[in-house]
Amino acid sequence: MNQTKRIVCSLIILLCLSGPAFGLELHDQAGRLVKVPTTVSRIVALAPSVTEIIYALGQEKRLVGVTQYSDYPEAAKGLPKIGSYVRLDLERIVALKPDICFGIREGNPKHQVEKIEALGIPVYIIDPHNTGGIMEAIKGMGAALGASGPADLLARDMARRIDKVSRLANTATSKPRVFFQVDAAPIITAGTSTFTHELITLAGGVNLGAGPVPYPRLSWEEALALSPEIVVITSMAGGHSPESLKAQWRKWQQLPAVQQNRLYVVDAGLFDRPTPRLVEGLEALARIVHPELYGGSSDK
Amino acid sequence: MIGRLVLITLGLGLLLALSGFLGIAIGPSGASFGDVLAIFSGKAGSQSITSTIVWQIRLPRVILAATVGATLALGGLVFQALLRNPLAEPYILGISGGSAVGAIIGLLLGLSPFPGVPLAAFSGSMLVLVLVLGLVSGQSAVNRDSMLLGGVMMNAFCGAIIMFLISVSQTSQVHQILFWLMGDFTMFNTGQLPVLLTLLPCFLLIFVLARPMNLLLAGHESAAALGVNVQLASLVLLVTTSFMVSIVVCQSGLVGFVGLVVPHILRMVLGPDHRLLVPASILGGGAYLILCDLLARTLSSTGEMPVGIVTAMIGAPLFIVLLWRSRRCR
Repeated sequence: MNQTKRIVCSLIILLCLSGPAFGLELHDQAGRLVKVPTTVSRIVALAPSVTEIIYALGQEKRLVGVTQYSDYPEAAKGLPKIGSYVRLDLERIVALKPDICFGIREGNPKHQVEKIEALGIPVYIIDPHNTGGIMEAIKGMGAALGASGPADLLARDMARRIDKVSRLANTATSKPRVFFQVDAAPIITAGTSTFTHELITLAGGVNLGAGPVPYPRLSWEEALALSPEIVVITSMAGGHSPESLKAQWRKWQQLPAVQQNRLYVVDAGLFDRPTPRLVEGLEALARIVHPELYGGSSDK
Repeated sequence: MIGRLVLITLGLGLLLALSGFLGIAIGPSGASFGDVLAIFSGKAGSQSITSTIVWQIRLPRVILAATVGATLALGGLVFQALLRNPLAEPYILGISGGSAVGAIIGLLLGLSPFPGVPLAAFSGSMLVLVLVLGLVSGQSAVNRDSMLLGGVMMNAFCGAIIMFLISVSQTSQVHQILFWLMGDFTMFNTGQLPVLLTLLPCFLLIFVLARPMNLLLAGHESAAALGVNVQLASLVLLVTTSFMVSIVVCQSGLVGFVGLVVPHILRMVLGPDHRLLVPASILGGGAYLILCDLLARTLSSTGEMPVGIVTAMIGAPLFIVLLWRSRRCR
């Protein structure tokens, strides 16, 4: 009896010890099976959005390499660079001795990701297409990093804030027609498959860029014909000052957006990356689209 | 003659080996001469990060750079002899551009990486070649300016087609295609190294045709009088060269001016004999592009840049100097 107990005990201990030694096997968002090592102490982020998520999860101490233009948060700028997300520098990545890399499906060249894996470094790919996808990506990365707690908290907070905006938007009586300008020359707006479309819809507006092309290019003629009631311009558009971006629209006095002075420049960082900051973008957009629901004030 | 050939081959072979050593010993993660020597002498363990970097990242790059450099230098040499124009080069004549158009169409049509895309590239390069040669064929003497203009125009036209294809395609590959057009080695898949072996018989064939090339340079009539089948020799040389260029364009995009810089320097040092220039261009072109790639990998501290930028920075000014001198000599 005593011996059986001892065997069972030692078996349990053995299981506990050997369990993590195999590491985790997780499916990433590209549907691939990724073998995550037991202890992850060195991470390389293969895209700026991934860097932001790692910081948001509070795991930045393990982050040893990021891509060019990983400019948020400020501290990320000081980390070693491994090329840009479309042109990864394999040697720099390998030299940083990462236990795992986190990449994106649309952007990181597939053949380079395969090369990194062939060199024995697992790559966990995220591929969010909407805010739900971002939360999934955060939970997946949290699981891979043994940080499921912070990941769940973060995802829950995002879900709560999105829900709040969307419930408030449902009480609105109108759905203003929003033109979201991603770039200035040529004018580029956002189609149906983009995060921006989802955010405009959640905020209670109608996206005038809706259509099958993700980022359609428009002539001024086409843009004016859409007759927007609200024009939202990202600060990255063409590298111009916010005032000159608005001035380009003010020339067209017949536009409802110009007549009602509803031209807004927003922080590009809140809109162009699939990260938790997108929720901040949503909240900013909601105040622009329905200022009456937020106490009537919106920053112009 | 044989003695000189052996001497030159040995000398440039040594240069190639030295460039190759530098290429695998130095990289963006630092120089590791000692480590590389230890790895070569078998003293270092094969599990270290440095040995992974040396064997699996730098070595394939150096092999690719050497092969592409050799091919482009040889391509330049052949065109310069056949067209009797020291400024002829696959890139400037639009042959590379034609290959690129073919390759991009192949990619967009979803052809296989081998042999589908290279065949499409080869068709593109042959089409450009026929058009450029058609431009010049009517004239009694080979007219330098019209040939160069024809090539430049073909290049511009190919560029327009490429930009059109890029602007209508919505794929996320556009970024990569742009880098590839600048001449880029990061796209290279190590699994495709065997494809490069198809270039070796081409090198050999061109070496065999070195003597006819010498005679062609003296003029088609005198070459014919000396028993060279001018049309057959020209055809074999042109098709072989276009084939080689298509293969390397598929692997590395448009790396320009290598075929101009390398044969020109070698001709200044070695004289006009193609029996020497062919092996010298192969070895020298390889060494030159390895060193250019070393610069491309290490110059920027945030990530590597396309090697075509380095070769163009060196080659384009030299092209201008050559053009200016050839005009003054007239």
